[in-house]
Amino acid sequence: MYRYDDFDRQFIAERVAHYREQTTRYLAGELSESEFLQLRLRNGLYIQRLAPMLRVAVPYGTLSSGQLRKLAHIARHYDRGYGHLSTRQNMQFNWPELAEVPDILAELAEVDMHAIQTSGSCIRNVTTDQFAGVAADEEVDPRPYCELIRQWSTNHPEFDWLPRKFKIAVTGAASDRAAIAVHDIGLRARREDAEGIVFDVFVGGGLGRTPVIAAEIRKSLPVRHLLTYLEAIMRVYNRYGRRDNKYKARIKILVRAMTAEGFRDRVDAEWAHLKGSESTLTDEEIRRIEAFFTPHEYPPLNDADLGPARLEDPAFAAWLRHNVSPHRVPGYAIVTLSTKVTGVPPGDVSDVQMEAVADWADEYGFGELRLGHEQNFVLPDVPQSRLRELWRRTAALQLGVANVGLISDIVCCPGGDYCSLANAKSIPVAEAIQQRFDDYDYQHDLGELDLNISGCMNACGHHHVGHIGILGVDKKGAEYYQISLGGHSGAGGDEASLGEIIGPSFSRAEVPATIGRILDVYLKRRIDDEPFLHCYRRIGIQPFKDHVYERAA
Amino acid sequence: MNAQLDYIDQPAAQMVSGPGAVPGPARLVAAEQWTPGSSDGLLLAVDAEPEQRFAGAELIAIDFPAFTDGRGLSLAVLLRTRLGFRGELRAVGDIRADMLHYLYRCGFDSFSMSGEGSPVDADGVTKTTAFDALAPYSDCYQASVRQPRPAYRRVERCIAQELSSPSF
Repeated sequence: MYRYDDFDRQFIAERVAHYREQTTRYLAGELSESEFLQLRLRNGLYIQRLAPMLRVAVPYGTLSSGQLRKLAHIARHYDRGYGHLSTRQNMQFNWPELAEVPDILAELAEVDMHAIQTSGSCIRNVTTDQFAGVAADEEVDPRPYCELIRQWSTNHPEFDWLPRKFKIAVTGAASDRAAIAVHDIGLRARREDAEGIVFDVFVGGGLGRTPVIAAEIRKSLPVRHLLTYLEAIMRVYNRYGRRDNKYKARIKILVRAMTAEGFRDRVDAEWAHLKGSESTLTDEEIRRIEAFFTPHEYPPLNDADLGPARLEDPAFAAWLRHNVSPHRVPGYAIVTLSTKVTGVPPGDVSDVQMEAVADWADEYGFGELRLGHEQNFVLPDVPQSRLRELWRRTAALQLGVANVGLISDIVCCPGGDYCSLANAKSIPVAEAIQQRFDDYDYQHDLGELDLNISGCMNACGHHHVGHIGILGVDKKGAEYYQISLGGHSGAGGDEASLGEIIGPSFSRAEVPATIGRILDVYLKRRIDDEPFLHCYRRIGIQPFKDHVYERAA
Repeated sequence: MNAQLDYIDQPAAQMVSGPGAVPGPARLVAAEQWTPGSSDGLLLAVDAEPEQRFAGAELIAIDFPAFTDGRGLSLAVLLRTRLGFRGELRAVGDIRADMLHYLYRCGFDSFSMSGEGSPVDADGVTKTTAFDALAPYSDCYQASVRQPRPAYRRVERCIAQELSSPSF
């Protein structure tokens, strides 16, 4: 993984000192509320419904065991003993004291971490495939290019005051686990014989109030031109993106207004001036950053025969099937530790769990781990022969649930319990659904099913790309929930799509039963092992509509 | 990078000047009224298009309707890098002390601020002692108008093999 040198450390130390001084001025009444708001947002600090919320950056979801131990320490000392894995590979703390935030940032800096640009109208933490570097289906490890983008976008003098937040995602695998189609900029890294590493560039995707699938505006951009091309996109957006209405300020609205071709022409005209400039990446710099991500020296292993263990222990077999993914090195596996336990808000993890995961990252790997946008932990390098031993240990800490990709692996924002933007609560809805479908056999029979819940239009729970999406809406002061079907993030080789709203919304109490009726239709209509998404794409929304609303009619 | 902060008396405004900045013309006129060779300063809105005829101006002021409006930063970069504008570039309007370092790196060299929030007091003394408001960071990763070379073209950075194991 990337490691800081003196240059990075000096910058982070100065950033902490700068923010400390800004906080001091604010507390002394020398900085207005509106001014400090902008400054604290650029350091990841929101003021939420109950308390401030600090979002710590986990660049492209990669962290070391020591960094996770530091997060556990922060949860214990500055919070209430837990943190929250966000849907953008970050970790959030819900209860810090505003005056203590500079101290938290100083502690983070000790382990080369920060909260820079995790909120505010600027370029946010770049995200990627949580299996980057180890996935069996990977063509290019996207992490070096994420790191190049991280450094370029950090404290950028021109692009820290954009019309709206800006999210970049990068993938390098056949299955797009980074959901690049629904980001402001999506990059697909590939290898070409003549050019080496190249990127296909997509712009204007996004969720929120106006969900859009991104349009491809450039094919095969050579890596050395990556930053100048991004600069051209950012400049066009910074100058022409709408600033009069925050709901129309994302780049997707600009791309739609200009048309994708018109936007691409604007970017190309700008890029003509920038191509070949000093900001062109040098071969030395590309190689320098790539070298940090050189594959580990894996002790040679053969693929383990887990057949007998599977037969002996069906629970282990289920965990293998759902939580373990193929590794590019024989004898190793990628393990996803689910945080989705009934009764615990999705993504919430205690300091004790964090310490344990850090220990496992050391014992069963190279001291590295990942956070996925589905709000789970990932241990990237587990020897297959030790999977069963690891699995036994995870159960005691409620991290061994075999539900990754199943209905109870719900992606969910903090919602109305915490967030001041939310129209409705989301965590109790997740819990009610988990309770209703707690039967493992039923869940496993349903198979792969992404269920996403957002408490408002901002769509932090990515409900538009859930196979089943649930959105909290306000109906004359009461909390209601709109259900959509057929969304998809683009993982697994299926094309990304946005969910279609099934019809009038439901009260909170009606939601679990409604989901049940949707699943009845699926179970009745599916052919063989056809997953929910494929079945939906084949039969369309009407049969679901008919069954869900027939009682009400 | 340690710019000297000078206080220049102006009606209802304070001015902080960076190095090399000279007090420009007192009168600012809009682009439609301004002609090349004029001794007046040129006042541009943040959404103005950079026109080549602006390049010879003695002073260009960009008017920020809100301190969060980053369009003025991109316009400044274009005036400096695309048009080769070498005159004084002044930020006017809603300018706050904590924005100065962004403005400075994008090529502004003078700042007209309303009294409150200015990093200099009425006697021209810098209020914030801990930080140079123009350059709170000793170095930055990316290129800018002030430093056209990104760090990777001028700073010796560590390579992976040279770093000893971290303690965390």
